Amino acid sequence: MTAIMVSSAISSGRSQLVNTRQRSLIMARLRVLWVLAAFAVLAVAALLRIAYLGVVEDAPRGMSMYQLLLPPRGEIADRNGVPLARAFPAYSLWYNPAALDDGGAPLVKSPQQVARELVRIFPDMDVHDLTRRLQSGRAGYLRRRVLPEDANRIQEIGELALEIPQETERFYPQGSMASHVLGYVAADGHGRVGMEAVLDKDLLDPARRATPAVLSLDLRVQGALEEELKKGMLATEAVGAAGIVLDVDTGEVLALASLPAFDPNRIDAAGQRNMFNRVTNQVYELGSTFKPLTVAAAIDAGVVTDLSRRYQANRPLEIGGFQIRDSHTIGASLNVPEALIHSSNIVTAQIADALGGKALKRTMSDLGMDQRPFIELPARGFPIWASGDWPRLRTMTVSYGHGIAVTPLHLASAYAAMVNGGIWRPATLRKVEPGKAAKGRRVFKASTSARMNQLLRMIAVYGTGRNADAPGFRVGGKTGSAEKPGAGGYRRSTLVSTFAAAFPMDRPRYVVIAMLDEPKGTAASSYQRTAAWNAAPIVGKVVPRIGPLLGIRPDDTRDIDLSDLKPLVHGGVE
Amino acid sequence: MTSSSPSFIPGPTSHARRGHVPRQSRRAELRIWWREIDRVLLALVLIVMAMGTLAVAVASPASADRLSNAAERLPDLYFLWLHLRWQALGLLALLAASALPKDMARRAAILLAMAMVIALVLVPLVGQEVNGARRWLRLGVAFQPSEFLKPAFAVALAWILSWRLRDPNLPVLAISGAAMALVAGLLMAQPDFGSTVLFFGVWFVLVLLADLPVQRLAWLVGAGMAALASAYLFYENARHRIDAFLGGGTAFDQVDLASRTLLGGGWTGTGMFLGTRKMSLPEAHTDYIFSVIGEEFGLLSCGLIVLLYVAIIARVLVRLVEEEDLFTILAATGLTAQIGGQAFINILVNLQLFPSKGMTLPLISYGGSSTVAICMTVGFLLAITRRNPYLARETFDWREILQRKGDAR
Repeated sequence: MTAIMVSSAISSGRSQLVNTRQRSLIMARLRVLWVLAAFAVLAVAALLRIAYLGVVEDAPRGMSMYQLLLPPRGEIADRNGVPLARAFPAYSLWYNPAALDDGGAPLVKSPQQVARELVRIFPDMDVHDLTRRLQSGRAGYLRRRVLPEDANRIQEIGELALEIPQETERFYPQGSMASHVLGYVAADGHGRVGMEAVLDKDLLDPARRATPAVLSLDLRVQGALEEELKKGMLATEAVGAAGIVLDVDTGEVLALASLPAFDPNRIDAAGQRNMFNRVTNQVYELGSTFKPLTVAAAIDAGVVTDLSRRYQANRPLEIGGFQIRDSHTIGASLNVPEALIHSSNIVTAQIADALGGKALKRTMSDLGMDQRPFIELPARGFPIWASGDWPRLRTMTVSYGHGIAVTPLHLASAYAAMVNGGIWRPATLRKVEPGKAAKGRRVFKASTSARMNQLLRMIAVYGTGRNADAPGFRVGGKTGSAEKPGAGGYRRSTLVSTFAAAFPMDRPRYVVIAMLDEPKGTAASSYQRTAAWNAAPIVGKVVPRIGPLLGIRPDDTRDIDLSDLKPLVHGGVE
Repeated sequence: MTSSSPSFIPGPTSHARRGHVPRQSRRAELRIWWREIDRVLLALVLIVMAMGTLAVAVASPASADRLSNAAERLPDLYFLWLHLRWQALGLLALLAASALPKDMARRAAILLAMAMVIALVLVPLVGQEVNGARRWLRLGVAFQPSEFLKPAFAVALAWILSWRLRDPNLPVLAISGAAMALVAGLLMAQPDFGSTVLFFGVWFVLVLLADLPVQRLAWLVGAGMAALASAYLFYENARHRIDAFLGGGTAFDQVDLASRTLLGGGWTGTGMFLGTRKMSLPEAHTDYIFSVIGEEFGLLSCGLIVLLYVAIIARVLVRLVEEEDLFTILAATGLTAQIGGQAFINILVNLQLFPSKGMTLPLISYGGSSTVAICMTVGFLLAITRRNPYLARETFDWREILQRKGDAR
């Protein structure tokens, strides 16, 4: 009995426990769902709030990686991507005496003390000078180009009047190199002089300034050209120098130098004076460098068919009271190769006379000599070009580069057309993708061009261009030493010495032109002022430096075939 | 060596092994662990922790810059390297806790709770004062007892509340309420208003689950309101914060700076390390890390983080619906409520839907004690929700449950 009682008590207690357990479990499970629902409500609230903030509130946008890395002004790079001009935000130190705006002294501390603290940050500044400027109470820049860490230190001085506005700085890592091509950015934020002015819109366009503007320049070639030109200019005490390296097949300018240069990082009065571009803006009578062009025109027109034909060369030509003479009598008679090798005005004038003014003028005009040079730069000089029919005398003087004044760039483009198979193309400072070169126009026949390559090479091998004949690089070219016109006619003592060259002549790739303005006869040029002694050696030094960079290796086993013309020179004896 | 030991074969001579659980090889234990834990939950937690690493990396320069002085300059990624160390330690704690059997986990949590309550008693006496509050205890290493109490307290409360299955007449509600009051008193002595609210929330969720009648529930809610009101009246810090929240605050106060930072990147963000507004934000690497994420990775990433927390919460709670052990349901819900509650309080503060209070974003914010403690919380959660996948369970049937509920009334 008791056993049964106990058993039933236990079982009833148990069933109660089981019941409780079951009930608690169900309740707990249900309320777990309550908790889940509560969190879901919270999450929906948070998500709605995020959506509201993103849509309704005026969230400051436009802070993407792209925009933060976007330079304030586009970079300019050379053809290999080396930066020539960069922009980055920098600080400057501006003195604003009105910053405190309480009618009292502009500075909290004494000007001397502030000046001393500034000098502690910038040891190159002068305490007395700074004190004077702080005392003067005039607003102005105390310093440009302040580094961020120095800006922090200025901030720590604790003077409200010392403001550090953030400004965009244009920086030219190569200093004055290619300054005439690049130009500079003026205080108004727009470019001046060079490609900075030409590309101004592109460089400022937010859509396009992310990618650097790529120029045709090759920084290494530019460096070599500038250095050799500068050496030559200093050695001959010339007032200026100009040079250009041009790709004959595309018209790309690989280097363009006008000396003295300026530093676009720091524009001052001296820099302003040097901004004139001698390569594209100044026109010169370039003298004998025109003779190959005249001969090419004559061969092309069929006027010269026999290179062995001899012209008299020991009597000055008299045309209308004007005498055309050579610097010295070279021989009684000369054939065409000899005339070029020895640079005879008399023979060239006779050939031009036979060709006629009309044909010569047309060739010169086809070579672009009657208009401003074709290039992007804003500074382009207009040639001195005689309009109308050319009389005999004009035809004859133009044949040897007088009575016509063009820029060195005109000459480079003309030489490129002469050596590349006869196609004239506009020069460009923009990189040309392979196969995208300008179509150009045919000026000379391919056969004429091939013949001229032989003749140019002969000048460098046998004639006035010997100083430019860098071993292995098969240079060909022509000297030109023109007297500068002055008051009362030509001045015999002031010359423009030019060497216009191309290499390698067996398959011309590049035209190199070096020009010296008013070189003196110095020891370096063997006391000579003519191009053979000053301009030609510059080309002779530039070519071996730039050739390997441009993929042209010195090779003594290769050269243009001169065997058919060799017997015509010096009776075939060297 | 253990793997080569012979497996246990029951036989007539095996009585000598009575009471001795056959020792399994460590590899087998690991395999069982892998089979039984909630791998989805583990993956979600690891994803959030990885996002936390990124977030601390981008927030580190701001805080390092802010905490640098003339004498010492902290490197930009100072807090990232520290955080990586804490995270490594936290992962160890997580794995160790999750490898405990359920009973062991319970015992460990209860012991930890006792130890931490004792430590909390010590804090006002020998604690270290930081930012006007004593929360740190330095016993060899400095740590915040309240952080470690959070997971332990949830488990201990669940244990207390599950006593009623043994004896329905035990006053479990009163006992748990007393424990809660003790902890709340200790926390307010520091003072730590944010943690008190969080503990209170966890306790409320647990008693809600433990079959609290709706009538008493209403009483509790009323009491909570009264407590908040008294905090507003008598606790200055809380009053300032609530005033600032209701009144809209002033320009360039903490809340305003956080809001500028949060919106600084638009929908898609400024990109990593490119945010600028975070630099002027105090507590960028802890309380306001959600705003830093908003600036650098965009509002869309903020939404993603909200969804990840919801996923963690839902994963645990939905699985609990099929659970048959009351303690498991209570403890797991308590731990989840603790992580989720802290996360949502932090997120809502950053979104200006809640008055600001010093609370980190769990699993994401930089922290020493808090990172390790939160990892331990996840570890306990994994241990308690361990489940043999080969045992069939009663599926949750709504109709049946409602019907039974009706029967029970």
